[in-house]
Amino acid sequence: MQRSILITAMALLFSCIVNATPEQDKKLFQKFYTDRFSDIPISEFSNGVYALDQDARDQWEATLDFPPYEYALEEGEELFDTPFRNGKNYASCFENGGINIRQNYPTFNRQRNTLITLELAINECRAENGENFLAYGKGEIAKISAYMASTSEGSIINIVTPTKGNGLADYKKGKQYFYTKRGQLNFSCANCHLQNAGRKVRSETLSTALGHPTHFPVYRMKWGGFGTLQRRIASCDAQVRAQPLLGQSETYKALEYFLTYMSNGLPINGPASRK
Amino acid sequence: MKVLFNNSRAVLICILLILASFSSIAKSVTQAQAKAATEEAHNLWQQSIAAGHEWSTIKPLVVQSKKNLTAKLYFSALSLAEQAISQSKQALIQAEHEKINWLNNLPK
Ligand code: HEC
Repeated sequence: MQRSILITAMALLFSCIVNATPEQDKKLFQKFYTDRFSDIPISEFSNGVYALDQDARDQWEATLDFPPYEYALEEGEELFDTPFRNGKNYASCFENGGINIRQNYPTFNRQRNTLITLELAINECRAENGENFLAYGKGEIAKISAYMASTSEGSIINIVTPTKGNGLADYKKGKQYFYTKRGQLNFSCANCHLQNAGRKVRSETLSTALGHPTHFPVYRMKWGGFGTLQRRIASCDAQVRAQPLLGQSETYKALEYFLTYMSNGLPINGPASRK
Repeated sequence: MKVLFNNSRAVLICILLILASFSSIAKSVTQAQAKAATEEAHNLWQQSIAAGHEWSTIKPLVVQSKKNLTAKLYFSALSLAEQAISQSKQALIQAEHEKINWLNNLPK
């Protein structure tokens, strides 16, 4: 008798955890960080590791007068403004001419029943206008995306709450990916960027996952150029010796969707520079 | 004394014979054994991909083991395949375990 009560209680608890709504997830997620780092204003998490590590922040701030990405960002603007061979341009594909929209991506497209990230939308715009697809992750697409992000400076991330019609299944897929241990080293994203945020791994302070999507594409010194959020995620997967997935694969899109929804309410401050 | 001497010599010879047979086992990996192991490695690696838990360390082992098989280097083909098999099995255990365990990582 007692045992069956216990089993029922456990099953109930289990289903509560699994079936928490995205709203509840987000509340708990943000609360986790604001409790742990109670002296840090929530919008500061947009600065990644520099919200937590003063030494690193001092070095980083010294570079901000002449950010290393300035030139690449200008190139992004030029690319964005250059007409396609048919005379149309990127602005023709996006609402508001593509200006100040970064905060709404990824977005779930109900008609097509699929997630659309900003980079995917950029490539689809090209395809609609008879241009070839750009390689995801770096190069032109990251420059264009960086320019578009820059026009959203200060706008608040505003991903529509996932519901049955708004990609709940994708949201759940992304959530599970974030918390699942993987790779030969057996780490989940959460192990590093949630449970151990603020602590050091080798010589690096681990940033909070809250705020990860606010400042991408990131210009990384190690890359010598811009990379998209999915490119960064792929390098974290590789670090734990998990095989990285392809850019814009269903799973990476879902992960980007989950991560961005978790940062709803934070201001866009991309592009940014990192080590 | 003589008996003892004879006995220990016999033991020594036995040990040498055993060691020698080990090394000849090692040398005599057949093409069939290496091929079977390489195939098993390939299949288990594919299973780990299907389970969504591919490790980046497995593919290079599988690829190299196939190359060595073609080059008739059966011993190293087998040994690489065995490493790939063992890692793929661990990846599959991880996949199975994480079906439930990921929930333990949620913020509380
Ligand atoms: C073994 C620990 C570890 C794991 C696991 C890990 N990362 Fe990272 N990650 C790092 C380190 C170290 C950095 C660089 C310092 C920093 O910004 O946190 C980093 C950086 C990042 C950044 C860039 C932050 C910025 O402000 O530019 C993102 C985004 C990121 N990780 C996402 C992820 C995601 C998503 C996963 C899971 C797929 C993941 N990480 C798994 C260690 C890890």
